[in-house]
Parts: sequence; C-alpha cells; structure tokens
Amino acid sequence: MSATELFTDERAVRGTSSPVMGMVLFVAGEALFFAALFGAYFSVRTSASVWPPKSIGVPELAVPSVLTVLLVTSSVVLQIGVAAVRSGRIDSFRNLLGLTILLGLCFLALQAYDYSQLTFGIRDGIYPSLFYVMTGLHMAHVAGGVVLLSLVMGQTTTGQISLQRHEPVEAATIYWHFVDIVWLGLFTAFYLSVR
Amino acid sequence: MSSTHRFVRLGVAALVLVSMAACTEQPATEQAQQTHRLFYIILALAIFVSVVVEGALLWAIVRYRRRPGDDEEPPQREGTTRMIIAFFLFGTVIVAALFPFGEVALGNIEQNPTPIVTIDVTGSQWQWSAVYSNEGVVVSGKTFVRPLVMEVPVDEPVRINLVSNDVMHEFFVPAFYFMRNALPGHPNVFTWTPTRIGTYRGQCAEFCGLGHYQMRFIVKVVNPTDYQAWVQKERKSILKINCPPAAGNNLELTAHNISWNTNCLAITAGQSASITVHNLDAGIDHNFAIWNSLDTTHQYFAIPKFSGVATHSANLPQEVSQLKPGKYYFQCNVHGPSMSGVFIVEPAGSGQGGG
Amino acid sequence: MAVVKAPTLARPEPFRSRILDWLTTTDHKKIGILYFFNSLGFFAIGGILALLLRTELARPGTQFLSPHAYNQVFTEHGTLMIFLFVFPMLAGFGNFLVPLQIGALDMAFPRINALSFWLLPVGGLTILSGFLVKGGAGASGWTGFAPLSVQGGSGMDLWDLGLLIVGTSSLLGAINFLVTIVRMRAPGMTMMRIPVFCWAVLATSLLAVLAIPVFTAALLMLLAERHLGTVFFDASHGGSPLIWQHAFWFFGHPEVYMLILIAWGIVSEVIPVFSGKPLYGYRGVVLSFLMVTALSFTVWAHHMFATGAVELPFFSITTELISLPTGVLFFMWLGTMWKGKLRFEPPMLFAIGFIAMFLIGGIDGVWMASPAMDFAIHDTYWVVAHIHYVLFGGTVFGIMAGMYYWFPKVTGRFLSRRLGIWQFWIQLIGFNLTFFPMHVLGLRGMPRRIADYLPNEGWTGLNTLATIGAYVIAVSIALFFINVFVSLRKPRDAPDDAWGAGNSLEWATTSPPPAHNFDVMPEVRSGRPVYDMRMHARAQGGGSTP
Repeated sequence: MSATELFTDERAVRGTSSPVMGMVLFVAGEALFFAALFGAYFSVRTSASVWPPKSIGVPELAVPSVLTVLLVTSSVVLQIGVAAVRSGRIDSFRNLLGLTILLGLCFLALQAYDYSQLTFGIRDGIYPSLFYVMTGLHMAHVAGGVVLLSLVMGQTTTGQISLQRHEPVEAATIYWHFVDIVWLGLFTAFYLSVR
Repeated sequence: MSSTHRFVRLGVAALVLVSMAACTEQPATEQAQQTHRLFYIILALAIFVSVVVEGALLWAIVRYRRRPGDDEEPPQREGTTRMIIAFFLFGTVIVAALFPFGEVALGNIEQNPTPIVTIDVTGSQWQWSAVYSNEGVVVSGKTFVRPLVMEVPVDEPVRINLVSNDVMHEFFVPAFYFMRNALPGHPNVFTWTPTRIGTYRGQCAEFCGLGHYQMRFIVKVVNPTDYQAWVQKERKSILKINCPPAAGNNLELTAHNISWNTNCLAITAGQSASITVHNLDAGIDHNFAIWNSLDTTHQYFAIPKFSGVATHSANLPQEVSQLKPGKYYFQCNVHGPSMSGVFIVEPAGSGQGGG
Repeated sequence: MAVVKAPTLARPEPFRSRILDWLTTTDHKKIGILYFFNSLGFFAIGGILALLLRTELARPGTQFLSPHAYNQVFTEHGTLMIFLFVFPMLAGFGNFLVPLQIGALDMAFPRINALSFWLLPVGGLTILSGFLVKGGAGASGWTGFAPLSVQGGSGMDLWDLGLLIVGTSSLLGAINFLVTIVRMRAPGMTMMRIPVFCWAVLATSLLAVLAIPVFTAALLMLLAERHLGTVFFDASHGGSPLIWQHAFWFFGHPEVYMLILIAWGIVSEVIPVFSGKPLYGYRGVVLSFLMVTALSFTVWAHHMFATGAVELPFFSITTELISLPTGVLFFMWLGTMWKGKLRFEPPMLFAIGFIAMFLIGGIDGVWMASPAMDFAIHDTYWVVAHIHYVLFGGTVFGIMAGMYYWFPKVTGRFLSRRLGIWQFWIQLIGFNLTFFPMHVLGLRGMPRRIADYLPNEGWTGLNTLATIGAYVIAVSIALFFINVFVSLRKPRDAPDDAWGAGNSLEWATTSPPPAHNFDVMPEVRSGRPVYDMRMHARAQGGGSTP
C-alpha cells in the first residue's frame, strides 16, 4: 500500500525526535509546576519581616553543598554518557548511566539524612511548610528520575539502545538536567540567599 | 417564516436590554454614582457592537441563504491582510475608547477623603460585626438568627476597615455598587459617601461555606441627628450592661452556635479568680480573652483557642484580678465582636449581688 | 475439552473480545469515541445537578436541597462540567479528528493516549464518590478557594485527588496533541495548511501544558495543608489565602480559554463548509488563536479585583486587549458567510447560534473587565450569566455544531435533521430564558452560590423564569440523546464527503474511516485538499456525476 509507505518515510524523517519533543513539553509543564511553588515562596518571603523566621535560624550549608555537588556531577556524567551514545560507545554509556543512577541514589539517601537532622517539623510555620513541600516534591522528582534512568538502563542492558535508536536516552537526560536545575533553584532559595 | 421570527427575536432582545438598564438600582453613594454612569457608558458601547455584529449576522442569514436549485459556487474569497488589520483596528478603537472611562471612574472611587466615621468591619463564619471604636459602639449579627444592622450618617465619608476572622468573605451592598473581599490577615480599606437616606441590604458575596446564603447585613443611612441618637442608644446599651460578681470569683462561660451564653462577666477585685469555658460547637475553635476596651489595644489575658466540644479552665492572673475596678471588654478572639461582652471588676466589699 | 465445547463457548467470545478491544485500544478514533461517551455521561450527571440547583432556586425557601447539599451540588456541577464534560469532549474531537485532518495514522504516543483517556473516568468517579462519604462531597465551589477548602471532610480530599488525576490526564493528552500536530503531518501538509481546528487544538494544548501544572501545585499544597499541617493559606502563620487564588487563576483563566478555543475551532470548520467558501482570513484566525493563548497568561488577576490586592489597571487593560483577537474572529466568521451560499443544516444552525450567543458572553464580560464596574457585579449572578453565555452559549453550542457535523464521519450515519432543528430552537430559547435574566439578577445584587434567598429581595420572578428555562434546556438535550440513540440504529449511509462540501482530509476517507485511516492518501497541495479533489473530479468527469 503506497499510502502506508509514504507515512513510514515521513515518520523516519520527522518521527525520530517525538519522544524528545514530548519530554521537552513535559519539562516545560514541570517548570511551571515549580514556578508556582517558587512564586508562593517569594510572595511569602517578600511580605515577611525576618527571613528565615527567628525560630528557624539560618540553615547549615555543609550537607546541602554536598547534595548540590552530587547532583551537578551526576548531570555532567550523564551528559558525557549521552556523548558516548551519540558516537556509538554503548558500553561506556552503560557505565556512565550506572554512575548517574548511583549519584542520584546517594542524593536521595543524603537528603533523607539531612531531613532527620533538622530541628523543625513541617507543622512549625510557613518556612517549614515551604521548605518541606518544595524540597519534598523535588525529592519525588529525583526519585522519578532515578526510576526513569533505571528503565533506560534496562533498555541498554537488553540491547535496545544503539547509535541509531537512542531517543529514550536523550529524553531521560533532558528530564535529569531539569531536576538538577530545580535543585539549584532550591539551593539558592533556601540556603545561599538567606545568608 | 423564520426570518420574521428572527426580527421578532432581535426586537425582544433590544427590549430586554432596555429593561435590563432600567433594572439597575438607584445608586446611594457618591462612589456608586460613578459606577452607575460607567455602566451606561459600557452599555452604549455594548449596544453599538451588538447591533453591528448581530446585525451583520442577521443580514448574512437573510441575504446569503442558498436558494433551492442554485448550485453555482460562490466566489472563493479568502480575505486580505488589509481586512484582517482593519478588524484588529476596529477592536483597538473600541478598547481605547472604553479603557479611560473605566480608569476615571476607578480613580474617583478610590479617592479616600478624610472620614468622619471609621468602622472596623469583621466577617466570620457566618456573620458580620462592626466596631465603631471612636464612638464606643459595637454591633453584630448572630449566625442563622439575625443580620448585623449598622447605621451611618448621610453625606459624610465613611471609612471601612474590612477584615476576616477565618475564610474569605465579601462585603457587598448592591445599592452602593461596591463589594470588597474580607481577607484574613490582610485588611482592606475603602470609603463610602452615602448620599441617600434609606435602608440598604447587604450580603456576603464570596462563598464561605454552610451559612453563606444567610450572611446578610443592613446598612441604614440616616441624618446626622438620628445617627448621633443611634450611637448614644447603642453606647448606653453597652454601658447599661451589668451583672453581679460570680460566686467565689469562679467565672463560667459557654460558647454555643458561635455566641456566648452571656454578654456580661464580673469579678470582685483583689481576690483570686478563675474561668471555665465550655465550647459546645463541634469542630469550631473558640478562645476567651480579656481586653482593655472595645478598641482592643491591650490584652490582659487569653486562653489558647481550642476546638469543641471541650472545656478549658484557667486561673486569672494577678494582672486581671488586681485591675482597677471598672468596665473592661472580653471576646472570643477567633470571632471578634460578634462574641463579646463586658468584663466588670467590682471594688472589693461593695456588697454581693449588687446589680 | 476446549475443542469439544468450542461451539458453545464461541458465542460469547466475540462480545467479550470486543469489550476487551475497547478497553485496550490505542486507536485514536476509538479513544476519541470513548472520550465522547465519557463526556456525554458526565454531561448528563452535571446537567441533572444543574436541574437540582435550579429547582431549589425557583422559589425562596429551601424545598429540595439543604444548604449543605446545595453547596455540594453546585461545586460538583461546576467541577464536572468543566473538567469532565467540556474539556474531555474537546479532547474527544481532537483525538478523533487531528490525525485524520493532518493525514496521520495515529497520535504520536498511542499508548499514552489510552492512558490519558482511562485516567479520566477514574478521576471523575473519584470526585463523584464524595457524595457517598461522611460529610458529603467537596463543597467549596469549583474554584476551591482556600482557606475554605481546608475545612470540610474527606469529600474535599476526593475532589482534590480526582482533579489531580484529571489534570494529569489532560496534561498527557495535551503533550500528545502538540507532538502529533508538529511531527506527524502528511507530506505537503505544512503548518499553514493544517485545518484551523488543528490550530485550536494546538493552542489549547499549549495552554494546558503550561497552565495545568500550576493547578497541580496548588492542589498538592491544599492536600499538604489538610493533612500535613502546612500553613500556606493561613494568614495568622505567615501564609496567605491569595497564594491559592493566584495559582488557581493563573491556571483557571487559561482553562476557560481552553474550553472556548476548541469551540472556535469547530465553528471555524463548520461555517466555511455550509457557506460554500473557504475560511475568511485563515491567517487572521490563526494569529488570533495565538494571541489569545499568549494573552491568557496575563489576565488571571481580573478574577481578583475585589480582593483589593492586585494591580488593577494592568489586569484591566490586558483583559480588554483580549477582546481584540476575539473580536477579529467574529469578523472572520461573518466574512466567511458574506456572499456565500448558506445552507442551514443543523451544524450550521448551532454554529450561528454560537456566534450570536458567544457575542453576548463576550460583551457582558467587558463590564467586569473594568475594575470599578466589577466591584458592583463581581460574585453576583452577572458572573453566572457571563460564564454560561461563554461556556454554554459558546462552547456547548460549538460542541453541538461539531456533533452534528462529524457524527456521519464517526459513525457513518447522519443525525436526524428534523430533531436537530427542533433541538436547536428549543436549546436557544431555553438557554436565553435561563441565563439572560441572570444579568438582571446580578444587577439587583443577587450573589452567586447562595442556597436560598428571601421573598422580599425581588429576585423570585426572574429565578422562576430561569428555572423554567433550565427545564427547556433539559428537553433540548434529551432530544439530542434521543437523536443519537435513534440515528445509531439506522443503516450506514453517509458518503465519504458527508456534506458534499468538505475541505479537510477527514472527508477524503470512508465514513467511518478504516483502522488505518486512509486507503489512499490524497495529495495535499493547499489548505483544502478535499475541495481540490472535488474540483479535480469535476474538471475530469464533467457532468458525469449523477
């Protein structure tokens, strides 16, 4: 059937980047999601006389700095992995992907530890509300990213990722970088800008 | 057949438009007159646009209907850029004509002339209260029972400080052409200058839960003499409130249906005293606080708010029991003046049951 | 054993496999039909709730619904109509038509497409199940203003969770539409040749992708407020109720444009076909859609004039500016009809009804765009009138136009013309009877969302009139359901180009289309490939067509 062939051709040209475009749109939506939360943060902060409130105090910087390093490193590692996949070095990509996932897991574990060290709970006012909900939702996104990368890992180990077909890698990478950028925003909002 | 129908329809629509215009309330404040005028300015523009567009639509329906047997293709015009730009310009002219009128009216409404009367209005689920702190008057509605009735003098600017105790409410007087949200923690200030003596109904316009539909109030615009008389009467009714000191100086108070069982509490000065508050309102927070006076500038004592059904007891601190004999003010801070009363400190040895 | 019993088992199997087929389908046309069923179901429920409201308000005094029941019913009426009837209905049209109109085999992500659909009934039933729990369903209005929405029982949680699910569904669907339109077009189908309906879907999807996540954030904050003890909306602890309002309306205003945009798209498809002309000013229409899309993110606080906490002139002027692109659309539709040869088939009647009614809905919004005037009519029945002139007079009339227009394509059968004309007139009369008086009620100071009013307010007569109108509308909608039911039992007789004047590609394939959409893919050389085909055939065959 000539019609179908025509379609197949057309898709070969245009269809390759559909997952990437889908992910870009999804991330655009996610960006608005976090923008809403940051909007709440700044509207509260600008109307507060003291920030963070006296009862909370200025947060420690040590653990969050390590968190930042972990996540930024993971993004760099993943990007190197993408470069590897684009030049067909699948094995090298698999290792770098594994490292990214590991760094992501470390981030989650360390943030859980950081939570356990905090002196305030979520019920202790507007600052804790914003802090726990925003970092908590980000954490959920990191966890989601780890799951997504693990799925890509599964595809890689079963040989479904190749030089010719690696849209899942590109799409997952966009998501992971986005999660990283959100963390930099949170790090600035809750740690750097309050000193 | 249907073309005549359509003309009938247009006629009916025009009639309804005119009758709608007649349905606007007579504006009762200076500010309302501005809005009232703005309504008609927009109406004129609206009628113009409606006639142009609905008229063109009607014309097209009548004139360009396909006649039976006419199978010839109409000219396939696709519209020129010039026409598209022209249509954008049409709208731009309308908006440019309209916007300044709105801004002028808004500027006039938002002028806040120096007020003669200042009223603190508080909305809570589900009643209004109004405190005239300069005059020493407090009036309040009672949830599901009666609306707030407040009086204001005619031809004088009246400043309203509006706030909510709980959720969002909206203070709306249709004849004043004005509503404003009562927000918790974010007081809103505006001014009315009533111009017509009369009784005006008002109502909460922001959905606020179960009792929203009956959260009504009444504003009476009266002449200055009547207003003074009303203030005196209300003030006296507060001053007249009196009651004997509680036995053993142990006060007892019950909150039910968002009101107290009494508007008067009294203790004997110099002796230790206690208070027991019963909250019979399931799931609703109340507290109890003693203040210097209606203007609530100094709080002597408060028990934390607690949810019903429950009871809370506390000893009154020295600061209260040592107060100079006289009249003070108590309220539930959650519900404000709508749950308030007079707190009396009787001089020691003035005789029990004096009252 | 199976071999022995095969003949007896064989009978139920086709039926079961047909059900299974519908449950697991990833065919965009079947999913589109599922969307229609879902929407019509919730339309019926939302309509019954509306009748309950109108019945209660017919006279002063509480006769049928207690105030608490009334509050639940108006909340669920708004929520269901907006999130589970109108938006999914538009997604249904989009699903069925977009791949056909751009000459694609299916949506870009067929399985995600199926997921988006199936999330919908789950979310909808979650919201509705609130009626069964203690304390009843959510009762804070469809706007769910905090801190009121922090109060209330588990029905409020179900409302919140249901909307999270529905929002996810809409977001995934919107991404799918965007990728499909941008990446899956047939050869020759350039962006400036796609049918204007596809532009409407594109604009709507863009709005959905950017707006829905903001609502999701607000809903999650509300859940945290209700269960984790946060204080986002609690002014006494440093939060603010305005946080909810800003987030909600940043989503909510684009949301109402999503609801009207696809109706604009439908009407812009229908009018050219029944005028025998191409759409007048295609570029102007596309430009208008995109301007509305962009502007709709700058107007949200016009819902908050009365809070006294927003920049009035800015949001007033952006709101009035939105009337420019909207106004242009009216001229484009009129320009299309101008000097055409109009055929008043039911789709065209509803499209004309749409123009006439949506104009009123546009104009009565102008009063509210002016803050000074808004202070007098905000949160009164004027708003109720306005939203219904836009979403019923506009969107529902548009949906009905689409229903009558594409029914032959979807099912291979025409809806009855006679019943359609009856439905149109009854609906038009009922609609105006119900909602026009509400303008006057608003001017007389009747606030919205009140369960009862006093006999001496002077609102009784008009309320009774509105209630009568609501029942008239119910009759017209019943006629529609009857029409669908009756027409589905007729034999399939719709030709490919059902109205004989189609422009876009869906009219080039059979009615209903085969699973693979097109047996032969027509060439696309303009924005009206089917018109080109007709002209070509006429030039070739001369007078040979009977």
